[in-house]
Amino acid sequence: MMRFLTSLLLGLTILTAPVNAQDGPLRLELDQGIIEPLPFAVPNFVPDSAAAAQYANDISRVVAADLTGTGLFREISSDAFISRVSSFDAPVQFADWKAINADALVTGAVNVSGNRLTVRFRVWDVFSGQELGNGLQFAGTTEGWRRMAHKVSDQVYSRITGEGGYFDSRVAFVSESGPKDQRLKRLAIMDYDGANVQYLTDSAAIVLAPRFSPTGDRLLYTSYETGQPRIYVLDVDRVRRTELNTPGGTMSFSPRFSPDGRSIVYSLIQGGNTDLWKMDLASGQSVRLTNTPAIETAPSYSPDGSQIVFESDRSGTPQLYIMPANGGEATRISFGQGRYGTPVWSPRGDLIAFTKQNKGRFHIGVMRTDGSEERLLTSSFLDEGPTWSPNGRVIMFTRETQGASGRATLYSVDISGRNLRPVRTPDGGSDPSWGPLQN
Amino acid sequence: MDTGTKISAIAHVSLIGWALLGGTFRSEPLPMAVQEVSVVSVDQFDAMTAQRTAPEVPTPVALQPPEVPTEEVTPPAPVEEEQTPPEVVTPPEPEPDLVPDPVEAPPEPEVVDEAPTLDPPEPVTEVLPVAPGPEAQPRPADKVAPEPIAPPPPEAEPNEVETPAVSLDEGAETQQEQQDQTAPDEATDEIVTEAEETKENAPRTSPRPRERPNRPAPPAQTEVAEEQESTPPTQVDESAVEDALAEALQESSEPSGPPLTSGEKDAMRLAVSQCWNVGSLSTDALQTVVVVGFSLTPDGKVVGGTLRMIDSSGGTDASAKQAYEAARRAILRCGAKGYTLPADKYAQWKDIEITFNPERMRIK
Repeated sequence: MMRFLTSLLLGLTILTAPVNAQDGPLRLELDQGIIEPLPFAVPNFVPDSAAAAQYANDISRVVAADLTGTGLFREISSDAFISRVSSFDAPVQFADWKAINADALVTGAVNVSGNRLTVRFRVWDVFSGQELGNGLQFAGTTEGWRRMAHKVSDQVYSRITGEGGYFDSRVAFVSESGPKDQRLKRLAIMDYDGANVQYLTDSAAIVLAPRFSPTGDRLLYTSYETGQPRIYVLDVDRVRRTELNTPGGTMSFSPRFSPDGRSIVYSLIQGGNTDLWKMDLASGQSVRLTNTPAIETAPSYSPDGSQIVFESDRSGTPQLYIMPANGGEATRISFGQGRYGTPVWSPRGDLIAFTKQNKGRFHIGVMRTDGSEERLLTSSFLDEGPTWSPNGRVIMFTRETQGASGRATLYSVDISGRNLRPVRTPDGGSDPSWGPLQN
Repeated sequence: MDTGTKISAIAHVSLIGWALLGGTFRSEPLPMAVQEVSVVSVDQFDAMTAQRTAPEVPTPVALQPPEVPTEEVTPPAPVEEEQTPPEVVTPPEPEPDLVPDPVEAPPEPEVVDEAPTLDPPEPVTEVLPVAPGPEAQPRPADKVAPEPIAPPPPEAEPNEVETPAVSLDEGAETQQEQQDQTAPDEATDEIVTEAEETKENAPRTSPRPRERPNRPAPPAQTEVAEEQESTPPTQVDESAVEDALAEALQESSEPSGPPLTSGEKDAMRLAVSQCWNVGSLSTDALQTVVVVGFSLTPDGKVVGGTLRMIDSSGGTDASAKQAYEAARRAILRCGAKGYTLPADKYAQWKDIEITFNPERMRIK
């Protein structure tokens, strides 16, 4: 019997030994996934008092709207929620959020003491049950609740996508009202989402093309106040403007700050010829950057300040060129069909956004800085004037509809070409300039 | 006259002869019931009838209380200690380096004081991204209670009030009505749906016979033989043999089988890719290739804590982190109910490494 058992044991050992042998893990490679908005849930933030209840509700709604508005996220309606978050510090019942397929969960709490508002929040990766980043707290005044909501959104966005947000930022634009032939234009500033519109000028003179300074404290714009286009710089907080001392007796327009904010580059018409100039803001001295009989305009610095992209018709049609920031030989980068204009260098430095007119249609597009990989993101009767979000992911621009009753509206689009949507403004809007993230 | 007729005639004659002469109709005496009667006298009769009317005298027996089947009625301890509901954890300790108050310039003292509340609360429901292992597998039950209740004994009827079984005891002083044992309804603290099948204890498949192995190397064979011979049978401890057998059987419960076919690999790849959502990834993360490793249970669920980034290339640490998180979401989300993989090849897919290459998913 023993001999039999021993034999059996040995037999089994021999049998099982090779069974356990394997050549390491199973290796697979994936190169195809899906591209769709990431489902997330923002249960109403928990208020610490009755006074905080409305803020808690409003802040969570703004956070949800911010994230949904990117097109990268999809909010799961609270109707689908299985569990309620009644305490900020209570453990998250991940199973309940998994059950409704929420990939990300944002929980928060709001505290109001007098006019002081405190918002705490956390971001959770539901399926791994882990927190993304650490809990964070913002404090401010109750009047600034919207900004605090945007700050929460920025954090959530960057923790999930890995790139900076753009919600706590402002956009300067030209507010347009009235019929097309008698349009009233005012310089205005608003939150990125169209809230909190403030008017910076009256409608007495035509204003054009506001441009934020890199820190967002000043605006350059062009006004026809004197009958001729002149460049002004406006202190946003004090709403105080100063005319820039460009070489006299001429028209100047299309200004833009350098990345360090110390100088501006602009177009100047002298003797019927339009060239690019650069002005040192401290000294007020201007130097010429281009000197050709062609029209050079719409200059924009690279983020490192070493190069300028601009529009020139020196080849016969408006095309895009890049030159060193102090002038010098320009290199043409656009070679497609049609006319190119209003180039804007991305804050990330990798792309240039532009307006393209081809076959009677206008497009907003992007291309690499060497002109390669041109992609048109939009197409309409009239699209123009792109401006980049602070994180270089979204482009805002003007879209104007056809006809006498045509109206200018601000639109935004993801650089992938998805998520094209209008930006709500009280009246019509044009010439947007997206400012930096606020501190 | 043909043979058939002859045979028939002979048979008939024989039958008739046997019927007439063979005693077919001989009757036998029927079995008769015989009652023996004895004659009794009047005295004897009286004595007998008196005895019948006399009260029964019970035999004095030490009365035993009805035996209470304590071991059956007492609710057994919860099946799995691990499955008891988690207790509320006290708020965590303060985290000194928490970022305070990014909105207002100088953080006020009380803000710093509040910081502790921002520490990650210990997730009490210790989240297992995958189903618990076999030892922690909850029993399926459709009732959820704060505390799990073990299944009733097989003979007990579910009842709200638990009642011990009582049976008739002839010797009992007060005769109780016989009643069946009941027990509370089985309950658990977790809903396990049908979809989340409980793990079977027994192996579902037996190992496939492997391909005919190469002839064992002669030295090994002699070694085995020597070992066999040198071990005296008397030295074989029976318990050791049983242990070894159990071990061997356990090991063999992880079937290996042949390598996965390309179709099976494609199915797995497709299953994960359906949840690999790169729509929210930054452009940097879309340049980053990550290799993610994890282990699966025999029913195809991701073993908690085994998910890890093995390698990354083409991006910064930050973008690799985002890319890994998207990959992790994909693996966990699509594997929530377990991946469908051939059970007989478990050893082949027990450990998996997936390379997530977003090259074709980039914005173009």
